[in-house]
Amino acid sequence: MFLNSTVSTASVARRRGLSRRRRKELAFYLFISPWILGFLSLTLIPLVLGFAISLTNYDGLNLFTVKAVGFSNYTRAVGDEEVAYALTRTAIFCLSAVPIGLIVSMVLAVMLNQDVKFRGGFRTILYIPYIIPVVAGTWAWKLMLDTNIGLVNAGLSVVQPGWTINWLADVATPTLVAYCTWAAAGGGMIIFLAGLQGIPSELREAAQIDGATAWHSFRSIVLPLLTPVIFFQLIMGLIGALQTFVQAVLLAPSGSGVSGFMQILPARPNMFLMAYDYVQIFGKQRFGYGTALLWILFALVLALTLVVFVSERFWVHYEVGGERK
Amino acid sequence: MIIDTAKAYRTGGQRTARLVTPRWASRVVVYGVLAIVTTLFMLPVLWLVISTLKAEGEYIAYPVTIFPKTPQFINYYRALTIIPFFTYIGHSLFLASAYTVLVQLTSSLAAFGFARIPARGKETLFRIVLATMMVPGIVTVIPQFMVYSQIGLTGTWWPWILWGLASHPFHIFLYRQFFRSIPVELEEAAEVDGCSTFRIFWQIFIPNSWGAIAASSIFSFQWVWGDWFYPLIFLTDENTTLAVKLATGYLDPLGHRLVTPSMAAVVLYVLPLIVVFFLAQKRIVQGVVTTGLKG
Repeated sequence: MFLNSTVSTASVARRRGLSRRRRKELAFYLFISPWILGFLSLTLIPLVLGFAISLTNYDGLNLFTVKAVGFSNYTRAVGDEEVAYALTRTAIFCLSAVPIGLIVSMVLAVMLNQDVKFRGGFRTILYIPYIIPVVAGTWAWKLMLDTNIGLVNAGLSVVQPGWTINWLADVATPTLVAYCTWAAAGGGMIIFLAGLQGIPSELREAAQIDGATAWHSFRSIVLPLLTPVIFFQLIMGLIGALQTFVQAVLLAPSGSGVSGFMQILPARPNMFLMAYDYVQIFGKQRFGYGTALLWILFALVLALTLVVFVSERFWVHYEVGGERK
Repeated sequence: MIIDTAKAYRTGGQRTARLVTPRWASRVVVYGVLAIVTTLFMLPVLWLVISTLKAEGEYIAYPVTIFPKTPQFINYYRALTIIPFFTYIGHSLFLASAYTVLVQLTSSLAAFGFARIPARGKETLFRIVLATMMVPGIVTVIPQFMVYSQIGLTGTWWPWILWGLASHPFHIFLYRQFFRSIPVELEEAAEVDGCSTFRIFWQIFIPNSWGAIAASSIFSFQWVWGDWFYPLIFLTDENTTLAVKLATGYLDPLGHRLVTPSMAAVVLYVLPLIVVFFLAQKRIVQGVVTTGLKG
């Protein structure tokens, strides 16, 4: 409808052709100008400022006693056994939470992309945990998993009297992985559903006519075309998992809800780098050391993501006709 | 024709399944798995809802009682009256809507640039976008907080407006992935016909991206709606969002937490989002089906 509004002549095309590249470039920078301004003022400058703080002994309060301490916060972090422990725990958490989250949300999306009854209802139910604010979600889980008054242990004691599991302390990391899967799967499912809907139906129909089985058409048509979405989800999942700390703090065994949030520590196995860092900044007012740890985390996230990006060309397929470069 | 294609697509999985296994067998598996998973997913939510109907002493009772003796619906009344509930939900609504509208606009613009307009330095800039996505939020938020407090923006809603205007790498990435799957032919045809770049964006890409827009909007909306940390550090007790107030507002005169009314408030807080999602979910996941085929 908008295509037939103007018919360009050859001369117009030629004149446009001359300045085309420069005009395109100008358009590009206009389109991305909000991002450029935002990036400079809300990311780059604060980052530099944060890095500057990491080179000082700033305690968050007193600006008069601030002095430059060089890279000593960084050398201290390297020798800090707690940091090494936190990094190990972070790695274990990421390696379990990210794949589990990816697989669960993809399987749910594939199932709910079919013609099932109450599809909207199922989707909504699975999405609800994703909407629930983390304060409320962790609260509900703590209520359910409580050693004494929790529903889950009440169920266990029906199976075998006296059987209780201290979910929040003894199996803290698996519990946290379960919580994060519960809380995030709905969001991942939506992205996967949108991706599945983007796969041209002709491809699957052609495969059907050729007698492909459901699994085969999933494996060789759906899955390859879904790789850009998987790639996106993998990156976002990794970044999110590496930064996990609010959930770990809120699912700590001691304390109730968020009263005294600043004082509660996560269960020992959930003392991830970000959680440890959070303790340094808000618990101990070590802004200098804390921001240094943040920068270390940032560097790790960046390195890991780069690895995934390098691998992109080997397993991610963009749709035929899309711009490849 | 479009409708036919979409219909064929929707029933596609089912027809394929019929070739290998009896229809009822695959049905049983799918419904069985869905039933189990949805039950597991709903359990904490149901337990939360049930707890809102218990008396304050009842919910910590041991041994555990599943249902309350008499449902305490008064907890919902208390949820609305102990704090000015509607004032705070209004704050949440305004911040989430303003941020969402702004961030969709700015992010989709930037994403279009990155997906479709050739320019020098584009690749490098996009790598920067991705790199910023990997910056832990706190790294930039703590220095931002220091600056904002110097120029008097703490305790106001301006930070959310600024974040919206600045676009967001997550949404840029999301839109870019979607834009990249729209056939180049459409764009080339429009270009030959003399369409400006902005018109191509606004009249070809945006109308063909409802799936991305809906998904991205829901994400950004609920990011602000559910966020607890930023309003806590940026806003005051008067103009903060409901998320913060939920955690701190429900106290008895002695300062003890009133658990059951605050749980009831959590339910009321989440309910509108669930309704919106239920109404929008078809739109969200359907949007992309026929994209690019309309020409």
